[in-house]
Amino acid sequence: MILDPELELHPQKLIANRKRKADKFNLYKAIFLDIFFVFYFILVVQRAIYYKFILNLSDLPFSWNEILSIFIGSVIIGTFWALSKTSLSCKLLGIAKDNKTTKWTVEIFGWSLFNITFIAGWIVTKISIVGLFSSEGIAGAERLFGAMFTPQFRIFDDALFAMIETIYIALIATLISIPPTLVLSFFTARNLMKDNKISFAVYYVLRIILNFIRSIEPLIWAIIFSVWVGIGPFAGMIALLVHTIASNAKLYSEAIEGIEQGPVEAISATGANKIQVVWHGVVPQIVLPFLSFTIYRWDINVRMATIIGLVGGGGIGTMLMQYQGLARWHEVGLIIIMIAFVVWIMDYVSAKIREAIY
Amino acid sequence: MLLEIQNLHKIYNNGTHALKGISFGVKEGEFLVVIGLSGSGKSTLLRCINRLIEPTSGTVRFLGKDITHIKGEELRKIKAQIGMVFQQFNLIKRRSVLSNVLNGKLGSLSTFDTILEKYSDEVYKEAYKCLETVGISEKAKVRADSLSGGQQQRVAIARSLMQSPKLLLADEPVASLDPATSNSVMQYFEKVNKEFGTTVICNLHFLSLVRRYATRVIALKAGEIIYQGAPSDINETWFRTIYGEEAEEVEIR
Repeated sequence: MILDPELELHPQKLIANRKRKADKFNLYKAIFLDIFFVFYFILVVQRAIYYKFILNLSDLPFSWNEILSIFIGSVIIGTFWALSKTSLSCKLLGIAKDNKTTKWTVEIFGWSLFNITFIAGWIVTKISIVGLFSSEGIAGAERLFGAMFTPQFRIFDDALFAMIETIYIALIATLISIPPTLVLSFFTARNLMKDNKISFAVYYVLRIILNFIRSIEPLIWAIIFSVWVGIGPFAGMIALLVHTIASNAKLYSEAIEGIEQGPVEAISATGANKIQVVWHGVVPQIVLPFLSFTIYRWDINVRMATIIGLVGGGGIGTMLMQYQGLARWHEVGLIIIMIAFVVWIMDYVSAKIREAIY
Repeated sequence: MLLEIQNLHKIYNNGTHALKGISFGVKEGEFLVVIGLSGSGKSTLLRCINRLIEPTSGTVRFLGKDITHIKGEELRKIKAQIGMVFQQFNLIKRRSVLSNVLNGKLGSLSTFDTILEKYSDEVYKEAYKCLETVGISEKAKVRADSLSGGQQQRVAIARSLMQSPKLLLADEPVASLDPATSNSVMQYFEKVNKEFGTTVICNLHFLSLVRRYATRVIALKAGEIIYQGAPSDINETWFRTIYGEEAEEVEIR
């Protein structure tokens, strides 16, 4: 019985067939990439370098017609370039002709792309050496630093209490995150989910959702939850929790993907079922990395809890925001020193614990 | 016949044609050794037998049953009857020797019990007996990765013995061990073969080990069987055909 009709071909032909298909697909990709590169190149040169830098316009002229015509131009150039198999994308995808033209386009166009990106970045960032070294600005910074280095200890008790609140917010967020993260990580590990179509679909959807959640900073989550449950430590905790679950699920699942396959193969060779393979072959290999990530995440969460406090997530951050708003820099100085001290200790302790585990 | 293989092909997704029409049979109690260069298809062949991978075409019959394309519960039942030992031992490093050996029993116990690690006294006794067979029962409580290579491979043999296998597959079991340890590990395979009558199929590299342990030899080259017969019949000419013109036999004692 022959399952695969391709098998009737000579293996050499089969391999050649598959390579031809892959090359064709790569050519389509190359066309899209080249159109993008050319479009990007023209837009950046025109808008950032010509309008903004050379003409020094503050309001950039904008019209869809102009952009559309640039796009059409890019489509034409990009398509022909890719089809000639001498373009940058062809080289990147390994289907370029090996001749002088390819070498020149790759070197010149590649370098130009990098350079205009750097120049445009410089212009957009509004880098100004003058601003950095103006005497007025330096005087202001001196005043602030001076105040911070003579901290006001009158508020020490309050600050300490707020700091402890911050550490607990981080701790609770980290602890509560563990069970959901564990469950999610198994469903987002490619090597466990790729075997059948349904599980792969679950994997894919979960990945997209988690990526979306992770791409929203905890700061934004804190703003959302302070509206949802009211300003305070609880909002901060949930914000951290959501972000911790999303990012640790990724770290955990990558740990699962990176385990040794040999023992897993050995366990499945004994006739064990899927659950047993995961429990006896996968889990023992990932317990320690999981523990290590979680402790490290607590450390990160203490730092994040501070930032989240700035938008009303409670703890030391909220206190910092209040004194900063009143321009009481001596108090701000004390708070910053306390934060630095705690972060340093957390960093040291979590590193030591992680070392001891391995 | 314990195992019958007919016209077996395997083509991997990347286009590699690893097995090109392999046919042979294995009788109960044999110690069959498969030799051949790296990449000749030896590992693929073993993995097609216990169905860690699915053959592209052809048939594999185990105890008279066609197992070429079976799935799910049926496949697990077959896997549970075939033990396998690997080149890299493939133990769970952070677990104890004993729990590694107990893993061999997973296929015949309930999922719930194995997750709670609730094993009956008989299972424990069996595990110790398997460890005694390979002469390592005093190490039962230590972590698997604290053992030497040879000892780890013996634990792996004990794990496969927990399956009370009809057939024991060994994929280059001594390739990462030193010569002296290699020989002692091979002696345990011989012991299992002779004492329990377990059929062994083993991939090996060193001809001196082949001559000493094999009852029959199959040589693979580029996915095809080019030699089948007694180990003593592999002369200089055959050796050069199997391993290439430039090959020279290295003696290991």
